[in-house]
Amino acid sequence: MAKPAIENQTNTDRTYRFDFIGKGKIFFIISLIIIITGIVFYFVRGFNFGIDFLGGNLMEVKFKQDVSVSEIRKVMEETGYGKSILQNTASDQYIIRTVPIDEAEKDRILDELDSKIGINRPLIQDREVAPGFSKQITKYALIAVAISLAGILIYIWIRFEVRFAISAILELMHDLMIILSIYIITYREFNITTIAVILTVLGYSVNDAIIILDRVREELRFNKRDRFFDIVNYSINKTFIRSIGTVLTTLFPIIALLILGNPTLQDFAFGLFVGILSGTYSSIFIGSPLIVAWNNKFPKYKK
Amino acid sequence: MRRNKLNTAIVIIFIILLGLSIWGIVKNPIKLGLDLQGGTQVILKPVENEQASQENEEQQSAAAGVDSAAIDKAMLIILNRIDKLGISEPLVTKDYSNNIVIQLPGVDDPERAVDIIGKTAQLEFRILEGFDEEGNPKLGPVLLTGDKLSGASAGYDNNGQVVVQFSFNSEGAQIFEKITSENIGNQLAIVLDGEIKSAPAIRAVISSDGIIENIGSLEEAKDIALVLQTGALPVNLEIQESGFIGPTLGKDSLNQSLMAGIIGLALVVIFMIASYRGFGAITVIGLIFYVVFFWGILSALKTPLTLPGIAGAILTIGMAVDANILIFARTKEEILKGKSKQISLREGFRNALKAIIDSNITTLITAAALYRFGTGPIRGFSVTLAIGVILSMIVGLILVRAILFLIINSRAVSSGFIGVKIPQQTLKEK
Repeated sequence: MAKPAIENQTNTDRTYRFDFIGKGKIFFIISLIIIITGIVFYFVRGFNFGIDFLGGNLMEVKFKQDVSVSEIRKVMEETGYGKSILQNTASDQYIIRTVPIDEAEKDRILDELDSKIGINRPLIQDREVAPGFSKQITKYALIAVAISLAGILIYIWIRFEVRFAISAILELMHDLMIILSIYIITYREFNITTIAVILTVLGYSVNDAIIILDRVREELRFNKRDRFFDIVNYSINKTFIRSIGTVLTTLFPIIALLILGNPTLQDFAFGLFVGILSGTYSSIFIGSPLIVAWNNKFPKYKK
Repeated sequence: MRRNKLNTAIVIIFIILLGLSIWGIVKNPIKLGLDLQGGTQVILKPVENEQASQENEEQQSAAAGVDSAAIDKAMLIILNRIDKLGISEPLVTKDYSNNIVIQLPGVDDPERAVDIIGKTAQLEFRILEGFDEEGNPKLGPVLLTGDKLSGASAGYDNNGQVVVQFSFNSEGAQIFEKITSENIGNQLAIVLDGEIKSAPAIRAVISSDGIIENIGSLEEAKDIALVLQTGALPVNLEIQESGFIGPTLGKDSLNQSLMAGIIGLALVVIFMIASYRGFGAITVIGLIFYVVFFWGILSALKTPLTLPGIAGAILTIGMAVDANILIFARTKEEILKGKSKQISLREGFRNALKAIIDSNITTLITAAALYRFGTGPIRGFSVTLAIGVILSMIVGLILVRAILFLIINSRAVSSGFIGVKIPQQTLKEK
């Protein structure tokens, strides 16, 4: 029952509509521009690290009436914490981030805000992170990324072959660079959640890459006639509709979160949005041209 | 025909599981994490007690170097103290690097809780051997510690001063009797967490009980009594992070993410039906099973649902239909080649299977790394991600497959149903 199906496949027409690989260079350049901009901005102003990384105190305060940033800034200056970060979450609600302070200092600031503007207690959020705590988090995040990458590398190596595995890892590195660059360029807060987002995107992106690689693997088994270039291009064309479908169904809920969510949820959704777009894009325009370029340099399949 | 029986059995089993899940969800409503219901979270890093650390100083700074049995004991003591504070449903866990994570739902004053929980409460009895040139007291070796107490309570002494009264257990009483009998005339220092509370002169042999003096307020005396009752922590704890999230913020987050989930789900349903017609509609049935199972597993696991957890769940909605999209695309391809519906469907599943499994396993690898090395909220996220990936494979590859094979030969599954023109000869073939 299954055999004739396979024979049929070799006779089917393998013309494809879009030359994804041939246009690869343009996309390499686009990615490069984003990453270089990211690097430049990194040296200009760096990451906007959150309290998780810098340590310090964070208070989200609901005031008794609408209040402007400058009014709060003025009170903060009087208390000696003029450099604190202020961020409004509603017209009468602000997040105030300070350097690490003790209880007494915190009470002094809150009392000052209460007498000058008027605040509601208990606070909406009241967090404190010891400086240096982030070292642990960063260390473990890096370990998590390294282990995921190693795991993925080994898995693809076993299931496919080593050149596919390395291309996939390079593609993931690309996604990583793009996400970090976007975080630097947009100056979005970089916190623990961002790390979870990055790891998820790695998982998603490799998922996407494998769909294409799987098709290439299948084609290579039956098709000894066409050039590797054409086989990869054909495989992308064949999986393209699926890629669009999946990226859309994944993005729908994320876009809903991006529009409806509070700042925390929006942070989460923003990272996922960028990452998933990058993951889909890179499987087609970065990862696939890479395996073709590799084959051109060290031919294993028909060049 | 036998295959149809098998597929019918599969569908029936899934419907039974669906019923069980709904029953489970109603019976054990899902627990909400701190970020969704509001409360206090404290992360404490264990550092060895001074005495122990003198022996192996290198290990002092690294939390990982602290004996894990000591940390477990500390967690038990902490839980005990929280219990005595009357806080319900506390959660005391250990994270990847042996930090102690304490979650207290509904508590809006982290300060007192942290004070009590984190107090080492090392009560020591030592002989005061005099003072050095600068007037600092010189203490003899530790003769007895607070772990041999049988009880402690706050009260007032004859002069109306606030004190903590304590009594020894039988072993402690024996030792105390020995100390006092050997040291009549000397001063006995009562040291709490390194601070000499008092150093009364020993006038007679005492065995059963004593008091701690020089306490600021009755409130403080009560706290000290509470921590003495629960015993000294075997490790010192440094606050790494403490946070309080108000109940309104949590509720808002929950509502917004649920709303986003529902809208996202609705968009996925519309998209699937618009693109894949009848096949899409069957995916929607699968998606309903998926969402209910997902919810059921979360409530059965009793892990609190956190904000990143919800985000993970929402993310998996899109991934859940991916398997179906792959299968349908492959099936359509086969139909276009002129094969019959049933053979096309079988080929479609077979061709897509490898890709589905390979891609999901790599996602599981990432989820495992996140779980192993993530802190609280990231862990929650990795759990929902992993549940989502596994469930989506089960629903997509078993349930949706069974339903499709049951209906594929029916006349209703026409070109319009599939969204692809079925070649005439194959229609006749049926």
